[in-house]
Amino acid sequence: MSEQIQRIPVEITVNGTCYKREVEPRMLLVEFIREEINLTGTHIGCDTSYCGACTVILDGNAVKSCTLFAVQADGGEILTVEGLEKEGELHPLQQAFSTEHGLQCGYCTPGMLMSSLVLLAEKPEPEDKDIRKCLSGNLCRCTGYQNIINAVQTAAKDLREA
Amino acid sequence: MEMKFKGSFKVSLPRAEVFEVLCDPQKFAPMLPTFRSMEMKDERTANVRIKVGVGRIRGTASTDLTLEESEPPLRAHYVGRGKVMQSAYQISYTFDLEDTPDGGTQINWASDTELAGKILSLAGGGLKGYAEKEINKLILSVQQGMTPGAPPVILPPEHVGWLTRLLNWLRGEPKVEQAAEPTAPQETFQASEGLAAQPDDVLQEQQEARDRISSILQVTRKDKAMGRKEDSRLVRGRGLFVDDYKPAATHHMALVRSPYAHAKILKIDTTAAEAAPGVMCVLTGEELAGQIQPFLQIGAQACALIEDYPLAVGTVRYQGDPVVAVVAETLSLAQDAVQLVDVEYETLDVVINCEQALEGKTLVHEQMGTNVDWQGVYEYGDVDAAFAEAAHVVKIDKLHFHRFGSTAVEPNAVVATWNDALGGIDFLSNTHMTIPITMVSLALGVSADRIRLRTVDIGGSFGNKIGNYPYMTLAAIASRKLGGRPVKWIETRSEHMQAGTQGSERSYFDTEVALDRDGVITALRSRHVDDCGAYTRYEPLGAVIWAQVLPAAYKLRNIRIDFSQEVTNKGPAAPNRGYSRLPHMWFMERVVDICALELGIPADEMRVRNYIREFPYETPNGCVYDSGDFVLMLEQAKDLLGWDQWQQKKEEAKQQGRLIGIGIGTTLDSGTNNFGQSIIVNPESPFSGNAVPAIAKLDIDGSVSVTVGSFPHGQSHETVVAQVVAEELSLIPDMVNVAIGFDTERNVHTGQNGTYASQFAVTGLSAVHGAVELLKAELKTLAAFALDAVGEEFEFGIGEMGPEVRVKGSDRCINFWMLSNLVNANSAQLPEELRSLDLNCRYTYRPPFDPVDLDKKFGNLTLTYAMQTHLSVVEIDPDTGRVQILDYAIVDDCGKVINPMVVDGQVQGATAHSLGAVLLENMPYDDSGNLLTGSFTDYAPITINNIPKIKFGHRESPSPFSYNGAKGMGEGGGAALHSIASAVQDALFAKGVIVRNSHCSSNAVFDMLQQPNREGMVQVESRS
Repeated sequence: MSEQIQRIPVEITVNGTCYKREVEPRMLLVEFIREEINLTGTHIGCDTSYCGACTVILDGNAVKSCTLFAVQADGGEILTVEGLEKEGELHPLQQAFSTEHGLQCGYCTPGMLMSSLVLLAEKPEPEDKDIRKCLSGNLCRCTGYQNIINAVQTAAKDLREA
Repeated sequence: MEMKFKGSFKVSLPRAEVFEVLCDPQKFAPMLPTFRSMEMKDERTANVRIKVGVGRIRGTASTDLTLEESEPPLRAHYVGRGKVMQSAYQISYTFDLEDTPDGGTQINWASDTELAGKILSLAGGGLKGYAEKEINKLILSVQQGMTPGAPPVILPPEHVGWLTRLLNWLRGEPKVEQAAEPTAPQETFQASEGLAAQPDDVLQEQQEARDRISSILQVTRKDKAMGRKEDSRLVRGRGLFVDDYKPAATHHMALVRSPYAHAKILKIDTTAAEAAPGVMCVLTGEELAGQIQPFLQIGAQACALIEDYPLAVGTVRYQGDPVVAVVAETLSLAQDAVQLVDVEYETLDVVINCEQALEGKTLVHEQMGTNVDWQGVYEYGDVDAAFAEAAHVVKIDKLHFHRFGSTAVEPNAVVATWNDALGGIDFLSNTHMTIPITMVSLALGVSADRIRLRTVDIGGSFGNKIGNYPYMTLAAIASRKLGGRPVKWIETRSEHMQAGTQGSERSYFDTEVALDRDGVITALRSRHVDDCGAYTRYEPLGAVIWAQVLPAAYKLRNIRIDFSQEVTNKGPAAPNRGYSRLPHMWFMERVVDICALELGIPADEMRVRNYIREFPYETPNGCVYDSGDFVLMLEQAKDLLGWDQWQQKKEEAKQQGRLIGIGIGTTLDSGTNNFGQSIIVNPESPFSGNAVPAIAKLDIDGSVSVTVGSFPHGQSHETVVAQVVAEELSLIPDMVNVAIGFDTERNVHTGQNGTYASQFAVTGLSAVHGAVELLKAELKTLAAFALDAVGEEFEFGIGEMGPEVRVKGSDRCINFWMLSNLVNANSAQLPEELRSLDLNCRYTYRPPFDPVDLDKKFGNLTLTYAMQTHLSVVEIDPDTGRVQILDYAIVDDCGKVINPMVVDGQVQGATAHSLGAVLLENMPYDDSGNLLTGSFTDYAPITINNIPKIKFGHRESPSPFSYNGAKGMGEGGGAALHSIASAVQDALFAKGVIVRNSHCSSNAVFDMLQQPNREGMVQVESRS
């Protein structure tokens, strides 16, 4: 404990803003997002990378931010739930979760949104089984999932028709 | 958990030399694969530091390695004991030496590892493989160490940390662990380009992925429709969950928890933790016991003797029992310091199941003198006469409802600030009832009006977080000790599994069912035992509220149930969705199915013969089932499922040797409880009835705002309240403000408020309705004065100047702002008789309950009864026991539906919980009291991949007892537990299997197939 705490400089771009911080090597990416830059939309729900509440998009891919160190994201570009809306307008995916009642308590929702967004970016016409595969690492205890599948399908349709 | 390994190998060294190495701890210890350093404590004992790690769980273990036995030159036997990450282990290594014909030595080795504690819960099944790998490495290392001229052992790369590997790679150094010397940060990460130095195709892929995301972000939708009021903040990530709340100078609390299920605390040494960087204070149970009262016990029998404090005092009673609290400037520093607390325990025998508890050889709480915390007999009708007249008697020896939890994604959490200058204790918490205020208030000796309890957004609970109060109390004391600085405590997932989410389990012994010639059940007698874990907390209410659904859906009038509840060395039970009624209805459904199969009556027909038909129906214990039709619900569900087609397919499949089963689950969701039933566990209980207030107010700008006393955590109360108020005032829901979350300072609570036990649609909305009626009356009185229209009829609507009151059928109107202004800013205009008007109307709804008759255990225990029927078709793989759901149909009747979207969401969510519980989720303990599913990875809560496509049907039987015809709902979805058990039973009955446990995972079903149990478990006596 008498050792001096090591700190490492990182530059991480989150939702378009570049943040320069010096962080402990052990700092998790989710701690960086929630505590260093105070974006609390990304949540923590477990300690074994099971629940996916902390899912963010790093360099175009959905990652569980509790399973990466902040230093691993150095130089990377991150999108969190706070970056989905544009000038106050919700993204169609956010809206679809609302209209399809794809959320109840809302705690898992940010992770669900980020995982689904990557799917829709890669697969504009997903089948239900694609959605299930994509969200198999995101736990929801409230909805029973059916409305989440409906929400992603509705969003896919809205995105195609927009 | 115990793990044994053994093997043998040969080396060329003679036996004497081999022995010399093996019997010297100084030579032996460095051969341990992750050896870091050592220090000799005496000639035979070395304190060795090794690195350990399974998955994400990593740490340095300090082991006292003792050469316990050495018999030159034949045998060396080491025993290592140590602690790591709040866990304890003991490892022994035995080496027996034999000469080989070529002058070398054969070494026969054996290793035995025993583990207890958190690591077991977290790493679970991964540990055996890990231990085996480590032992093999040790043996390899010994083997190489004994082979002259062998190259030094280079550790496999997976033991080198990620950071070290990266550093090595950046420096172009070999992958040897010893190279990990501390390096100045600027040197290390100047090369962030180094990180990016990836092959072009990877970069290209990354760029494409980024481009895809930025292009999809540009799309907007023209239609801006939204679902619920709550959603706007939640889908933006702008909710305020407890961990998102960061008042200035917040300090963080972390807990040292017991690795043992039952042990005496011999010594607690917090010196090192207190001296650790950033640590502000440390609390122990002894310290607390001198400052606070033990928590109030609800029951009056033996459980009243339990002394329950937020930290263990003297004895730990379950694995995960909190022992020491450490508060530091940051969470990481608090967690670091937790590792430095040294607790010495002396383990005690454990009580792990209800049989051991009943036996009473070991007592969980010595002062109780028993493990039975509450016992009572529920007897109605003439049971013995009914048995004497019965045509058939079916006897079932034992059934069991397993332990599981709802495991909300957000665990328990609190920020407590004890600041006398600001008036007392301020809690932002995610508990969801006012009873925790009573608990905290009595424990701390602080008046309830000095306790502010707030909730904002809560990440689910399903009852569990009512058990948050010990931690709220602890955080409050820590805050006081820190001079009023806010103290935050966020439960970790593994803590939540061990201590925060377990529903109680129930065993059903010696069940006897009397039936007439037609298979109509006439009587039932049975003995039920609840296992509520180590502390009674919100119990023994669970030991009584099942009686809300005493006969379940069936018309039998003669019932005797001897009910007791016991404490064991398991995690303390919390209320859990379906609380206490679900286990009882599962039991009743099992009874009906077993009787049907034994008497050769189809399961659907058996139910039709036994269902209650007329409503309102008074049960033998005085509960009144308000409305519904079980027979029609079953018919509707059968149509939805395609019952006849499935029966045909089942028969066809049988010919091919396939195992298909069709199951039925009928359930009642009793809502709006009468607290009068608490006298059954405590005759002195000062509780009865129910009382829930709401405030409807016209604010100074003429806006309508409503405050309810509920603590929503996903139940959409803001949306539903806005909808109901808008209808009553002819507004649109967006015009109605609904306060978010709960706050005692809004003065909208009684001692019974909360979000629990399926009641909001009745209690919450009745209170809102009452408050709005009062507001409407005031508005009309004011309008009559302002419009000079006394005696006229009025109506509400939206006019050119916003919401208004107008004289019915005319254009004479006054808008809400003008009316508000009269009361709030222009009151000199008001005549004397109108000056008492306030436009701030509080109404408390009290359901029409009478006190409960204690002697007869008789009374109306709940106001409304929603109903659900679940039908399932499953196929079982005869080789693996895998249960696959082929089809599933649900019919729900919760009276008048206020918001179909919200109701459907509750039905689907509750169904997912019970599907998870029956097919996947279980909280088993080993014989030493270690929880074996202490992480999500081991517990495997149900995911999107496990949810079948479900067909939904609805009926609406309005309740005659609520103003709006609605019934509380949200817990009836538990019927999947009954329905799947019924379907598995149907598939396996021909194989001689009786489903006796509510957990029908593949493993459980595999075991059922291996050990048919019908013979000996069920007996039928029939009279001709």
